[in-house]
Amino acid sequence: MLRIKHFVEQSWLLLVSSFCFGLLIAVASAALSPTIEVNKATKLNELVKTLLPKARRFVALDTEIEIKLAGGKKERARVYKALSEAGDCVGWSFSAGGQGFADKIELVVAVDGTFEKIAGFNVLVCNETPGFGDQIKSSYYRDQFTGAPAERLSLVKAGDSKKIDSEIVAITGATVSSEAVVQIINTFLVQIRDQVKAKGLVGNGK
Amino acid sequence: MANDSDNKAGLYRRALLTGLWRENPTFRLLIGMCPPLAVTTAVKPALTMGLSVIFVLVCSNLVTSLMRNLLKSHLRIIMFTLNIATFVTICDLFLRAYAPRMSEILGAYVPLIIVNCIIIFRAEVCASKSGPIVSILDGIGTGSGFTIALCILAGIREVLATGCFFDIRVMPNGFVPWLAMRMPVGAFVTLGLLLGLANVMTMKKES
Repeated sequence: MLRIKHFVEQSWLLLVSSFCFGLLIAVASAALSPTIEVNKATKLNELVKTLLPKARRFVALDTEIEIKLAGGKKERARVYKALSEAGDCVGWSFSAGGQGFADKIELVVAVDGTFEKIAGFNVLVCNETPGFGDQIKSSYYRDQFTGAPAERLSLVKAGDSKKIDSEIVAITGATVSSEAVVQIINTFLVQIRDQVKAKGLVGNGK
Repeated sequence: MANDSDNKAGLYRRALLTGLWRENPTFRLLIGMCPPLAVTTAVKPALTMGLSVIFVLVCSNLVTSLMRNLLKSHLRIIMFTLNIATFVTICDLFLRAYAPRMSEILGAYVPLIIVNCIIIFRAEVCASKSGPIVSILDGIGTGSGFTIALCILAGIREVLATGCFFDIRVMPNGFVPWLAMRMPVGAFVTLGLLLGLANVMTMKKES
């Protein structure tokens, strides 16, 4: 009993403050999250348009695409069909995320209309080490994905970064971040491709 | 009675002005040196970082001051950290909502304000020993000193690296940008020269 009293006497301020500060963060988060989500959606649209320049509008898929993540967790992927002015399918896009070196990395990935080639990726959220990990945003790294086959990619530490194939050359000094991007794309791309093809959504024209 | 109010006014003035020059965190105390080197490629991100630090400094100083009589000495550092982390998180959320471009440019440096030693230093040296008004003024003064230092550094680098100031062209058309100023070497060289200048000014003042 005395020990509990001593514990409470010593730590009551810490406990009360933790609760109050937690509440303050929760209120701020609840108030600002909708605006942050709108900003994210706007940015997602802008980024996808740079990857699929022929796209004029994006239609979210009605069917559910479920992704199995490492560790057995499951996540529902948001997949969009990119349509041209005439309404033809010019590509597909989806957001994908996973753990990077410092924090979670979120990407937007685009593939061509037949799900054969990657049209590229852009970074939505990245808190990787400035000057090292954040070079996943650089064109040196990103350009290697543009035109690469829409299949499982592999990371190599040395090679010709200008050669477009399923081998991606890592950024010097940022192997973990480079690996994380390849892992994220592999996890999402292959499963989305298989499910979209299995549901007969690819190659049906409009 | 008049003496008492004079003393108070002097105390408030000192709290507000000390951080601007005599105890400027960047030029005089050389603490919290990560942002001056990392986010000073242009004035806009430097100003955003400075304002964020002022917000966190004022809020954390105020809360620390209000709870100063309840603080236990062995728990004070964890209390300061908890307090600072809360306001940094709120500031980060606010930037992501209303200044997404700046939030993106500053990246991890906004959450890293948590470990900026200026804030914990002011909490320990001033806010945990002073009343709320002095603590707020100290936060404004120190934060403003830090912001001014960031903006001077960023202004010099932006002008020399791009020929622009606050995105407005200020150099003649024939000006060749000094690309090194955009890189870390530009930050170190500019900061070193400014520190030298600050020392010369202080020595002249003292003599």
